[in-house]
Order: sequence, then C-alpha cells, then structure tokens
Amino acid sequence: MYGIIDFFKRNYFVLLFAALEFLSFYLVVKNNYYHQAGFFNSANSVVGSVDKTYSGITSYFNLTEINKQLAEENAKMHNMLSHLNDSSYRRKLKSSSPYGQKYDYIMAEVIDNTTNRTNNYLTLNAGKKQGINIGMGVIAPSGVVGIIVNVSDNYSVVMSLLNKNCQISAMLKKDGTFGTMRWTGDDFRYATLSQIPMSEKLGAGDSIVTSGYSSLFPKGIPVGKVEYYKTIPEQYFYSVIVRLSTNFKNLQYVYVVGDIMKEEKNQLEQGTYKEQQ
Amino acid sequence: MIGEVIKNFLRFLVFTLIQVSIIKHLDLGIFITPFPYVIFILMLPINMDKGWVILIAFICGLIIDMFYNSLGINAAACVLTAFFRPWVLRLYAPKGEYDSSSRPTLSSMGLGWMFSYAGTLVLLHHFMLFYLEAFTFSGFFITLAKVILSSMATLSLILLSQVFMEKTSVR
Repeated sequence: MYGIIDFFKRNYFVLLFAALEFLSFYLVVKNNYYHQAGFFNSANSVVGSVDKTYSGITSYFNLTEINKQLAEENAKMHNMLSHLNDSSYRRKLKSSSPYGQKYDYIMAEVIDNTTNRTNNYLTLNAGKKQGINIGMGVIAPSGVVGIIVNVSDNYSVVMSLLNKNCQISAMLKKDGTFGTMRWTGDDFRYATLSQIPMSEKLGAGDSIVTSGYSSLFPKGIPVGKVEYYKTIPEQYFYSVIVRLSTNFKNLQYVYVVGDIMKEEKNQLEQGTYKEQQ
Repeated sequence: MIGEVIKNFLRFLVFTLIQVSIIKHLDLGIFITPFPYVIFILMLPINMDKGWVILIAFICGLIIDMFYNSLGINAAACVLTAFFRPWVLRLYAPKGEYDSSSRPTLSSMGLGWMFSYAGTLVLLHHFMLFYLEAFTFSGFFITLAKVILSSMATLSLILLSQVFMEKTSVR
C-alpha cells in the first residue's frame, strides 16, 4: 500500500501530464465527430459577446462591399417575385410542392469567422431563440457557407465549408450528376468535388449547385464553378477542383435554412430501412 | 506572494484578450497563425510548482480553444509545453543556477536566453497544435511548414511583447 502511494508521489507530474493529455485528446476526438460539446465553444455567451464587440467595430470597414451584395440579392429577389406573380408559374409551383413552402430562412449576422485554419468555423448572432437548430444549413447571398454544429440561446456555431470535417452533397447543374464536396484544405477559394464518373463530359466553368438530397440545403443553391479536373489513375471518377462562389473572407449576413419537413423525411427513410432488415 | 498571483492573473487576461481579439483576426495566410498567448505559460515564476503550472496551462488552453472552436487542441499543446518547461529551464540554466530574483523574462535573463527558451517551447507547442489539428488531413510537410513559420511569427511577437513590457515596466 505504502509502495503505491510512494509511486504516485514520485511520479505525480508524469501522471498528471498523461491524464491531462488524454483528456485533451478525448475532447479533440469528441469535438471532431460529434460537435456537441455544449459549453466549450463560441456559442457560449461570454465568447459570443467578445466576438460581437469585435465584429461591431470591424463591420464598418466592408460596408460598401456588403451593400453591393445586398443590392444584387435584392435585384435577384425582385426577378423571382415577378416570376411568382406570373399565374402560370404559380400553378406549376403548387402542383410540384403540395405544402407550398418547404424551407424556412432565418437571417443572421456573422460575428466571427476564420478562413486560414484547417478547421474553420463561423459564429452567428442568432440561436435557439431565433429558431436555429443543430444540423441546419447556412447560405450567403452568393452560395453555400456551412452547417450549424452548435447552438446556445442567442448564438450559434457554423462549421464552415472550409473545414476538413465538412462534406456536402453537390451536383452538376446541367444534368444532375452528383458527388461529394470537400474543402481542399489550403486555399479558401477552392474545394474538391469527388465521385463524378469519368463518363461525364465536363468543362471548365460548369456550374455546381447543391443537390438537395441531404435536406440540409434546398436544391440548386450555388456552390461554385468547375475550375479544372483531374483523373485519378485506376479509378473511374474525376477529382474536380471547384472555385467556390462564396467569398468566405467577406461574409457578414447569412441565412440559416431550416427544412420544415426534415423530420417527416427522416422518419420515412428510417422506417424503410427497418422494414428492409 | 498574493501580488505575484494577481500579476500573473492580469497577464493571463491581457494575453488571452490580445490573442482572441487581435491576433486571431490577423489574416496572414494559411501558413502563419501565431499564438503568442503561450508567453503567459512561459512567464510563470521559475520556482512555481510544476503540477500547478501544468494545471494552469490546461485551463489556459481550454479557454483559448473556446474562442477558436478547437476544443482540446490548444489544451493539449499547452499541457505539453508545461510538461517540458522544467526540462527546458534546466537545459538553458545559467552557470550559477537561477537565483531567487531570476524571472523568465527578457529583462531578467537577456535576449539570448529568452530566444532559446521561448523558441524551444513555442516550437514544441506549435508542433503539437498543428499536427493535432491536421490529423492526417493535409500533408506532413505542409503541416511542418505551418509549424515552423508560425513558430517564427509567434516568437517574434513574444520577443516584441517582452521589449514592450521592459520599456513600460508593466511586468
């Protein structure tokens, strides 16, 4: 017994080191795969308010650019509205989507954002109280931004598309061939689209949009344009380098997209899998 | 004694705030992301109990992680830094050993000592930090480049802050 106590006394420093390192590694792994660590992230109100103060000061510097983006989006909305007012279009819309609206859009302001890390995150100044939940998609006027991974009452954390753990389902706009979109890891302007079969005819400048299969994002939200593609030896797929349409360095206002019928869709799919087993 | 605790606590507050409000938003490309907050761990008193140092380092890392959304990564790097600190202190000990008035600062130990002491520990810290962050994702050499370049940036900022602290005597 005395021997054990003596052992601990002599080696307490190494043991303490091992325990704390183990705890840290455990947190890293947990955070990488589950993203629900609760308190220890920037959705926490103390961290949130520090970020908010900072963004309150710096947001003035890119007002011109943001104004331009908002004006462009306004113009786009006006165009869509005039389409909707066209009665023939409205009839078509009704038949294709029986409940009318399928997605909910919640506006939020970006109060913190990084682009130069391996795992980039954004913090938004809207949370549970504004209707945001874990797993919702986030888009900017120009395209896809990321996925909500953490929420508190008034803040939420977005896993940016510029994150090694982020994968979204995307497709070629012209014919709907879909693949998986992942960040290349070094440049905030580019990402890779994999699993596009080599039988596909690709061209630089082809538009890539969200596929809508994951119900994170509505179908057809812009992701980027094909920059170039390469063939991987002994594989039947292209690796397509995509120039992202979202300028991640200059994000100020984003929309959080909630799929109203996500629950229903998931339940239906779960049920089907169970029946098959 | 109490004065020393308060001084260190204030230092912790100041360095953390500078890290998360200014340094974090510096955009120097993917290769250079300095973490000069480590100076807080380096500047803890030389004769402080190493068990306390490692605990304080862990908490300090966790707090930085909250701001970076990188739970555990800075904590792991800080714990490693605190673990090797006694060895590095011994490695660079002056001939007559550290005396009671020695503090691990530029003004007390001189530029050469501070450069090798801070340089070694910063390199260790960044090595852990960037490899843990990359986790087989990006290439070995890209990460190594990140470690070396970021360490150089961190070390420069640390030495700069030391000179500044010496001038204004807010130690």
